[in-house]
Amino acid sequence: EEEESESEPTFSFKNYVALKANSVNQALEACVSLKDPKKIHEAMRYSLLASGKRVRPMLCIAACELVGGTESIAMPAACAVEMIHTMSLIHDDLPCMDNDDLRRGKPTNHKVFGEDVAVLAGDALLAFAFEHIAVSTVGVPPARVIRAVGELARSIGTEGLVAGQVVDICSEGLSDVGLEHLEFIHLHKTAALLEAAVVLGAILGGGSHEEVEKLRNFARYIGLLFQVVDDILDVTKSSRELGKTAGKDLVADKATYPKLMGIEKSKEFADKLNKDAQDQLSAFDPEKAAPLIALANYIANRQN
Amino acid sequence: SFSSTPSLSTQFDLKTYWTTLIGEINKKLDEAIPVQYPEKIYEAMRYSVLAKAAKRAPPVMCVAACELFGGNRLAAFPTACALEMVHAASLIHDDLPCMDDDPSRRGKPSNHKIYGVDMAILAGDALFPLGFRHIVSHTPSDLVPETRLLRVITEIARAVGSTGMAAGQFLDLKGEPNSVEFVQEKKFGEMGECSAVCGGLLAGAEDDELQRLRRYGRAVGVLYQVVDDVLEEKKRENEENEETMKKGKSYAGVYGVEKALEVAEELRAKAKKELDGFEKYGESVTPLYSFVDYAVDRGFSVDSAS
Repeated sequence: EEEESESEPTFSFKNYVALKANSVNQALEACVSLKDPKKIHEAMRYSLLASGKRVRPMLCIAACELVGGTESIAMPAACAVEMIHTMSLIHDDLPCMDNDDLRRGKPTNHKVFGEDVAVLAGDALLAFAFEHIAVSTVGVPPARVIRAVGELARSIGTEGLVAGQVVDICSEGLSDVGLEHLEFIHLHKTAALLEAAVVLGAILGGGSHEEVEKLRNFARYIGLLFQVVDDILDVTKSSRELGKTAGKDLVADKATYPKLMGIEKSKEFADKLNKDAQDQLSAFDPEKAAPLIALANYIANRQN
Repeated sequence: SFSSTPSLSTQFDLKTYWTTLIGEINKKLDEAIPVQYPEKIYEAMRYSVLAKAAKRAPPVMCVAACELFGGNRLAAFPTACALEMVHAASLIHDDLPCMDDDPSRRGKPSNHKIYGVDMAILAGDALFPLGFRHIVSHTPSDLVPETRLLRVITEIARAVGSTGMAAGQFLDLKGEPNSVEFVQEKKFGEMGECSAVCGGLLAGAEDDELQRLRRYGRAVGVLYQVVDDVLEEKKRENEENEETMKKGKSYAGVYGVEKALEVAEELRAKAKKELDGFEKYGESVTPLYSFVDYAVDRGFSVDSAS
């Protein structure tokens, strides 16, 4: 059946992405308005509205629709997840962290607004993500919204993004970083928020416990997949192609999948993760699961 | 100097009330942040949240506001802890070299001085969501309906956000000297307001009562800071040491000690006037009155000692 859908596409991923990215961008544009003090809000908008791929919001909406919910139910959560993603990028790029000058093809937030404003803009996006979910999610029982808030919170802190970043920082210069250690970093630094995106969508859409857990596993696989592909791209692509500094893992002598297992084995590993991810969707209606399958394939095959 | 009016606080034993409550809150905070892998970040978080000299004003005010309406203390504890977590997070970030560049806090080295700037940023980034998570996972569902909990989450998020404490910090760094009122309202009033309102929300207070708590909490939050600034300014005058001057804006620094003391008296009166509206709740409003006097009175003890 998979073969058939490839030769005779009933689902156009290109159209889907264009449609969803458009509605996500509109929603993001509308939810952070240019209030006083203007400069903080400008800084928030500068990074949030930069041309991101919106993978996380799309995953959130697709998961919600898969379990029977609608785009509008998932949209505040989808935007919140993108705010958290943006916030973590702003803080990660700071001179005291990864010290990056370029992000999504533009100067990083602190390069434009200064370090102090960049820290505050990140903090403000973090806070606003929670406010936005709590205030703007409509047509859903409050208990589900509360569960979503708890899941989002867990994905950011010491069991999520922050844990990954901490272990990553502490690993710099270590010579004996193994695969397990690398996996810890990526499961937290990258997969945790992808997981939150999918799980929030599934919870808000009214998914059963079993459905939510299947989708959670799906997200973990594609989260790891995302990072393996990122590592491969870092050694095979230029900065211009990536829209961010290429080859910096090599320069920083960072542990990466290509470094630990070689490029070929890394590519095989990526294929396996993609397959494991899609296996989690086998119990769902294949037609309804098409967007998530396509998103997994997109993450596996992306060129930047 | 401050006029010391005889008040309920002379009969009400604030010290016992406060120390008992702080003891309970400290225990809950200690349990809320167990050390696990990666240990370093948990240690950084604990260093600031469990600092011995912390007065725990936000959590105590939250619990007291909840109890004013007959709410169960157990309903308020998770939110009280969350308030302390987000409060600590914002202090950690405020102290950073790129912000106020403060090497010390509460008589101890600032978080980044011990753990490094990168860990300090991440400790703050982790404490904000931990606060929200703690509320969701620890608030007894039989005591607080979900709709109220969502309002509590909204209230805290708004208080720390781009029009609240983050706005205050921004104007503290970039604003004109005459923005000091706005800075103090946002940086300090916001936390007091949020703490009082959250306590009321958890107990199911009516909208007009929440508005009253809002004005009360804001006045008390600013009052604490104005008195702090006066003490700071006096200390600085005594030492005649320019270097002890803080980077941030203060009433006393901008308008002088005399004017700051007038403002403090106005705030004290304003806060108490709001509480007068809670007459029907009888004795249970006493702790909230006592905070107002404590904010000013502690000035005496520190003042006379210097």
